Amino acid sequence: MKNLYLLLLCFLLAANGALAQSSKKKKSPAAYNKQNKENEKFLEKQWWLGIRGGVTLTKVDPTTTFSILAPTNYEASESGKKYDNFSLVGSHVTMEATFYFKQFTFSLQPTFQHSRFAYSNTYSWTDGAEGSNNNVELNYKQEQKVDHLIIPLVVKYEFMATTRLRPYLQVGIFQAFRIGATKEVTVSGIDQASGGQNQFEDEPITVGAKDLFAKKYWGVLGGAGVYYNLGNNVRLNFDVQYKLGMSNIVSAENRYSNDRLSGVGDAMDDLEMSNINISLGCLFPLRFLESGFKSLNRK
Amino acid sequence: MFKTIRTSLYILSIALFVFACGEESNPITETKNFTSIFDSNQFSDGFLPIDMQQTTDGGYVVLAESKQDSTQLTGVYLLKADKYGNFVKFIKADTLFNPVGRLSKIANKYYFFCMRNTDGKLASFDENLDNFTSVDVAYTNPAASAPLENGLLLLSVNTDSKQTIIAQIGLDGGTIRDKGFSFGDGDDSEKPLSEHFLKQGKQYPFDVGMLTPGIYYFNGFYNYTFSLIFTNMTSDDPIGITAGQNDDGGFSALVPLSASKYAAARFNFGENYFLPNTTIVATNQETPSTQLGGLTIPELISETKVKILRTTVNQKNVLVYAADTETRQIGLYFYDEATGAFIGSKYLGFSNPFTIGNLINTEDGGIAVVGTTYLAGRFPRLCIFKLSKEEVASNVK
Repeated sequence: MKNLYLLLLCFLLAANGALAQSSKKKKSPAAYNKQNKENEKFLEKQWWLGIRGGVTLTKVDPTTTFSILAPTNYEASESGKKYDNFSLVGSHVTMEATFYFKQFTFSLQPTFQHSRFAYSNTYSWTDGAEGSNNNVELNYKQEQKVDHLIIPLVVKYEFMATTRLRPYLQVGIFQAFRIGATKEVTVSGIDQASGGQNQFEDEPITVGAKDLFAKKYWGVLGGAGVYYNLGNNVRLNFDVQYKLGMSNIVSAENRYSNDRLSGVGDAMDDLEMSNINISLGCLFPLRFLESGFKSLNRK
Repeated sequence: MFKTIRTSLYILSIALFVFACGEESNPITETKNFTSIFDSNQFSDGFLPIDMQQTTDGGYVVLAESKQDSTQLTGVYLLKADKYGNFVKFIKADTLFNPVGRLSKIANKYYFFCMRNTDGKLASFDENLDNFTSVDVAYTNPAASAPLENGLLLLSVNTDSKQTIIAQIGLDGGTIRDKGFSFGDGDDSEKPLSEHFLKQGKQYPFDVGMLTPGIYYFNGFYNYTFSLIFTNMTSDDPIGITAGQNDDGGFSALVPLSASKYAAARFNFGENYFLPNTTIVATNQETPSTQLGGLTIPELISETKVKILRTTVNQKNVLVYAADTETRQIGLYFYDEATGAFIGSKYLGFSNPFTIGNLINTEDGGIAVVGTTYLAGRFPRLCIFKLSKEEVASNVK
């Protein structure tokens, strides 16, 4: 939390600094009348508050691989994990507090993010005898669902500041705090060692896996989006962010702590997680010049 | 415009400084805790661990029995894992049979007894499983062994002379001294022994050790009964006998704590009893082991294999009992060595069955457990659980 307070403090100081700088400038285009000038000056800066939500797609990159099963007479790659990236749909909800200043936006966007990713591996055993069809194959599918509170600090640059449709680009940095996680293991396979071919799928094993994930991780983000000003002090927002994890999301200390998962041969790799967040939302201005003033469509 | 960009960069730089922290894996952490299952993709392979030692490089060597295709006798299988639990190497010595524990480390070599045909063998190797050799010993049917300062104790059974023999063996395989005790003549004692050594029936928890210099004990057949025998290896008769119930009762594990105090476990007609702090005085009087009582542990399988480890947890001397549970897990039961009070438990394994081989203290203050798990519910494979000092402590009150 101390980091969060420090961050907020920095953010406010920086924003005030920028405002102070701007206040020293005297710009008064002759073409504007006094009211327009006041409005223009007023609209150079604005606070916005909003909410948005959408889908989250997840990719993980193993930085170091771990396995409970250590092959003694075959290559480890034969039973290595295969990751299924950007295939499972998660979700996120974001609160956005934004300060706009001359086409730049400084935004703090606390986000609840529910990420899902999966991997699978296959083990097989054979009867070495010639002509024998005896073999057993087991497929382990592991699905992880992990929830994080993400605190991103984002800087956006808006193009076409005088139109209702305002595209923007954004960059930022975030810190993520683990909230909870579950893991589901499904074992299926083909058994040809009991006199015939038997395909089977066991009941999934679902376990709480919060401790298997690191308490926090960080990353950088980039993205693009568009604002659409509705004209009645409401701004719609379509936003796409790519969050690139820069540190391990797995707890090394607790990698083997879950006996149920160890028992089925699962140990998580060190992973860096990246997400694509696609969201829709709306923002509301917090500063009004007068009753009935429309903050959005004056330009 | 440029000032605003500069301000943005300042903010992001400060944020980078504040945010850029996470948890990274640490090589030391990876050695403190791990679980490894050593798999072979062959149907016919099967391995049962006997003992394990930690090597000077932090890795582990495991002595195990391997299933044989054409006989119920078991082959010799040695496995080396590194300090992270990764597989390094194995040796399968198919010409040697029926290896027995302990796996003894003396100087920089590892020793164990086994058989070739009907001859007893003393095998040795170094910590990388190199220089594997075996020499003859003058005893058949090795049943148990223990390290001495410059040699080994061997408990063996001679079915011709009908004797259980305790012998002190040099590292070259030569006999320093020995003493034989009659196990009795006839089917009552010969049949269980024959079934044990041919791996066709009940496997008895033979054991041998030195109590104090010149005083030895063994857990084996004596006078038709599976008994705990004390001997000075000079007298023809034992100096103490704690008798079992023919072949239906006796000690399943024994660790001397002092001259007369023991941490023990016993079995009796299928039941298991833990005796974490019991007194056994070696006298000429034969004492039945049933008199010692003990804690019944109903969750254990009938006549389970039991291993006992003396360790230190939070500066307290603790006994760890390891045994197989009805849920097919390895149960670890912690007792205060001073009082015998139960102070915690932990269970290893899930889904596939797990059985205990042995457990050892590790140089980082943790413990390592070697066992067997049955992959896909059917393929017996070696497994090692490494528990950190902190994890062990978290299970102890």
